[in-house]
Amino acid sequence: MTATDHVQAPAPALPTRKREKGKATRPAMYILKKLLALVLTLFVASLAVFFSRFLVPGDPARFLLRGRSPKPEALEEITRQFGLDKPAWEQYLNWLGGILQGDWGRSLTYRQDVSDVLLGRLPTTLQLVALAAVFITVLGLFAGIVASLNKGFGDRFILITLTAAGAVPPFVAAIALVALFSVGLGWFPSFGSGDGGWDRIWHLTLPALALGITYIAMVARVTRSSMNEQLLREHVEVATSRGLTRGSVVARHVLRNALGPILTVSGVLVAGLLVSSAIIERTFGLSGIGQLLVQSIDRLDFGVVQAIVMVVVAAFVLVNTVVDLVQPLIDPRIAAGTESR
Amino acid sequence: MSQLLQIENFTLGFPGRPPLLESVSLHVNDGEAVALVGESGSGKSLTTRAALGLFPGGSESSGLVSVQGLDTLTASKQRLMELRRRHASMIFQDPRAGINPVRTVGDFLTETLLRFDGLSRAEATERAVKQLEQVGLRRAGELMDQHPHQLSGGMLQRVMIAAALLNSPDLLLCDEPTTALDVTTQAGIVKLLREQQQSRGMGMLFITHDLNLAASLCERVYVLRRGEVVEHGPTRAVFLTPEQDYTRQLVEATPVIETGAGSASHAAPGLDPAPLLKVSGLSKTYHLPRGGMVTALDGAEFSLPEGGSLGIVGESGSGKSTLARLVVALETATAGELTLRDVPRPRRPLKASERKALAKDVQIVFQDPYLSLDPRIPVGNAVADVFRLHQKQGRKEAKDSARNLLGRVGIGPERFDALPRALSGGQRQRVALAKALAARPRLLVLDEATSALDVSVQAQVLELVEELRDQLGLTILFVTHDLAVVSRLCSEILVMHQGRIVEQGPTARILEDPGDDYTRNLIASRPRPLWDAEPVTA
Amino acid sequence: MTLAIQLPQAGLRRYGNLLSPMAWGALAVAAVVVFLSLFAPVLAPYDPDYVDLNNVLAGPGAQHLLGTDALGRDLLSRLMHGGRTSLLGPTIVVIGSTVLGLLLGLVAGWSEGWLGKVLGRLFDLLFAFPALLMAMLAIALFGKGLFAPILAMTIAYVPYVARLAQSLVVAERSRPYVQAYRVLGFRTPWVVLGRVLPNLIPTVGAQSTLNFGYVLADLAALSFIGLGVQPPTSDWGAMIEESRGALLGGYILPAFWPALVVVLVVVAVNVIGEELSDRIGGKLS
Repeated sequence: MTATDHVQAPAPALPTRKREKGKATRPAMYILKKLLALVLTLFVASLAVFFSRFLVPGDPARFLLRGRSPKPEALEEITRQFGLDKPAWEQYLNWLGGILQGDWGRSLTYRQDVSDVLLGRLPTTLQLVALAAVFITVLGLFAGIVASLNKGFGDRFILITLTAAGAVPPFVAAIALVALFSVGLGWFPSFGSGDGGWDRIWHLTLPALALGITYIAMVARVTRSSMNEQLLREHVEVATSRGLTRGSVVARHVLRNALGPILTVSGVLVAGLLVSSAIIERTFGLSGIGQLLVQSIDRLDFGVVQAIVMVVVAAFVLVNTVVDLVQPLIDPRIAAGTESR
Repeated sequence: MSQLLQIENFTLGFPGRPPLLESVSLHVNDGEAVALVGESGSGKSLTTRAALGLFPGGSESSGLVSVQGLDTLTASKQRLMELRRRHASMIFQDPRAGINPVRTVGDFLTETLLRFDGLSRAEATERAVKQLEQVGLRRAGELMDQHPHQLSGGMLQRVMIAAALLNSPDLLLCDEPTTALDVTTQAGIVKLLREQQQSRGMGMLFITHDLNLAASLCERVYVLRRGEVVEHGPTRAVFLTPEQDYTRQLVEATPVIETGAGSASHAAPGLDPAPLLKVSGLSKTYHLPRGGMVTALDGAEFSLPEGGSLGIVGESGSGKSTLARLVVALETATAGELTLRDVPRPRRPLKASERKALAKDVQIVFQDPYLSLDPRIPVGNAVADVFRLHQKQGRKEAKDSARNLLGRVGIGPERFDALPRALSGGQRQRVALAKALAARPRLLVLDEATSALDVSVQAQVLELVEELRDQLGLTILFVTHDLAVVSRLCSEILVMHQGRIVEQGPTARILEDPGDDYTRNLIASRPRPLWDAEPVTA
Repeated sequence: MTLAIQLPQAGLRRYGNLLSPMAWGALAVAAVVVFLSLFAPVLAPYDPDYVDLNNVLAGPGAQHLLGTDALGRDLLSRLMHGGRTSLLGPTIVVIGSTVLGLLLGLVAGWSEGWLGKVLGRLFDLLFAFPALLMAMLAIALFGKGLFAPILAMTIAYVPYVARLAQSLVVAERSRPYVQAYRVLGFRTPWVVLGRVLPNLIPTVGAQSTLNFGYVLADLAALSFIGLGVQPPTSDWGAMIEESRGALLGGYILPAFWPALVVVLVVVAVNVIGEELSDRIGGKLS
């Protein structure tokens, strides 16, 4: 990744014959490998999430029933429901099998299937995250590009703004936005998710901004540095030396090549948005899965916590896999295995 | 004749710093090939880029840089782009860095045609394919859909040349276009450039650090040093009867193949029954991360007597560096035997004690002076550490030994506490040499140890190596791509090609009467002055 | 880039203007906050938990420099005492994750065989658990408070350090100077711990500095949603939570001060971290 990649590593030139031979199978192999890694990561993650419960010493039934009356019948019920009398691996297989078939267990608080509880809450969270993602993409890319192309005062000004914005934790941003736009100016509501359509967007604007602000700064920074790195590359100078306009050079050779690193952060971004939505939803009284996660921790409803953790982890791994699969389209060298950028 | 490129009193620099270019004046006429020669930091690239109106950001410049009457210092953006599109093209040093790696070759070639010449995609493709064929690339149609990483360096440079020629420019600027390439590939590119320049009647400004190369292509030459033109004139006159001291030094430092040198007296093959280093059937195979294998070294066989000097010559991918790394046990052989001082090398990674023992037999100096030394350790301490480890010396004693040794390689005591970054490339290689010698090895492996240095510095370091060899009775294994360098230093040569040793024997014999086609090709590929039709091997 | 090497005064940067004015400012802010928090028991003008219902939601004044909250408690004193909790967590997490991460990263980077690959996979897996999520899972397991999130975040931040250290070690390992150490016969532990490790510390230090800001923000967020520190202990996040009612009633200050301090500290830490990594970047190229 640095300019100091030197020829010391044993990477002898490939005879062209071999390269030709592997050409047809390479993309398929690449996709297969990534999908395999996806399944494997999800599997290990599920192990971690499931067996995390075993870190707590003592009787698992009493752990699951914390804060509730440990009546003998309740203990028996929970033992039966979670199969606590069975060996650990069998419990895990049952849990995993259930998840794969859509049976995510029952919530102790809601007396409902976890999957139903989740599905009811998911739309709000997805809408919130989607709106935040729009803000992040538009504002983040814009700020990053402008900063990169305007050396000197413009760059410095944006950079300082970004440093400040990046340091505002979502919950502080939420409080500040409420103080300013709800309490102070009264432009936006401070509570609830509103009805569908524009009312929904109007209600979600402040939460999405609060959620997105750190990530806007992050995307802008990555965009800026990734573009700056490309701007120094010789191929950009070559393009300029051939008489291309500044716009063409930036669009076709700088931004295009800078996309890879920007895309790479999107995995982190999606997971971060989902987790931070816990705080934002609670602040703005939105009933999404983030709010549900906090409530479930509060009410000691471990089955729901487990399910939500799994959903967030799966989202992260999935987005990352998609990013990995898209990367070769952006940079063909990645699929070929010579991924030095 | 009209002046195609005219540079008068061109000065360029950053405010508050000494200028990088000072009153540079040069010109190129229509149809003329002119060389601009200089070592690193002489400002040759800056000068050439100025011809296209490419100035480093924040720089200030004065004087005149005019191409066909257009002053690039004052011209509007529109006029400059017009100039770059129609009248002047540039070929860059490293085609792998110079062609956008994420776009196809076809895309690279046609983008200007589609945008500014109003050609349809089909027309543009046709023209690009034609141009690719003209620069000697076969299956041009297929190449159009390929990405740069699928092509070799030589092919890519041809693509770059094709792109430069697309709009039939009047002026072709070449910035070290063959430096990143192997000698045999370079020969092809040079031939192509010469042909195109002659047949099209283009003016050409060719930048290089290699005097031989300049002489093989250009009728006139400018010698640039620290931003100033020190000498210019017809190439032959400048090279054969230089007027300035600097030019004379440069000409003298430029390595030429010299047979009869190489101090054959040291080597007495046949007399010594037990050679210092003996290698037989040595092979190294790498498994590639995604299946498949590459044989980097295939059945190497040779021996090196105590006090001898063996040059290993080959191009990139020839396996010469793998061989060097095997000798110093940085790699483990896949098959074959390697015996150093009668100790057979085990075919496994060495244990710490074995490595320490081996260190007293063999040491290595690497190519890159900027990465060869620990950036955080003062050079004196770096050398003293070795004395403490191997000669069991105390802190103070080791420092004294280090000071002595550094003095011997030409690093004065005032530099004892300097960090590597305060030293020049040549000085760093001297320190690296001292570090290796502090272990008092019998065999010294030099892995392209002078390749990254400017010619004048290279000459000095080579001289030092020769001197140390004679004083200390060192045995030398010199790995390099440069025939001239080995011819000076080594009594025996071993030529490698694609992992195999294709030829070995006394230096003079191989250079005068090569037995292998590849060796012949390698020797013939060395650039030859325009005025000298005969090969320079004598 | 070649240009930079040729400029003559490059070597002087090491000693002269080591930090920019902005970084000095950031350092000063951080120092003041740390000092006030550390010596809160001595310096704080009031008992942070002293309720004075006659003096509710007072504005800044001579008596209460920053005003009081809805229970009439002195905001400055609460900020100072809260700072002890707010700064302690990130300190533990950063030290723990840096030590662990460096260790694992060194091992992963140096071992060429399966161990490096397995550790690399492990880091990948840990990345899938964002720190805040890991902290919440730990709270669900071990209960509310600071212990669980600090433990969880220490683990969650290990891959950030370890992956960086690993990639640096891999890069260093193939550098000629490290190979020269091997050929010279120096023992691996000496090379790795004595020579390679010190070369990593500036870069890893910059990363850990940035991590400090993230951890501070995340722990404050946990307290804000009531999962972190529990009353009567308080930190800046909890103070903001306590002040939400007052905020909706138009009293901004009780929420403003802790929010300002959190942002200031995070900005300061980020500025210092970036300054560090910029300096290192400049030195290496």
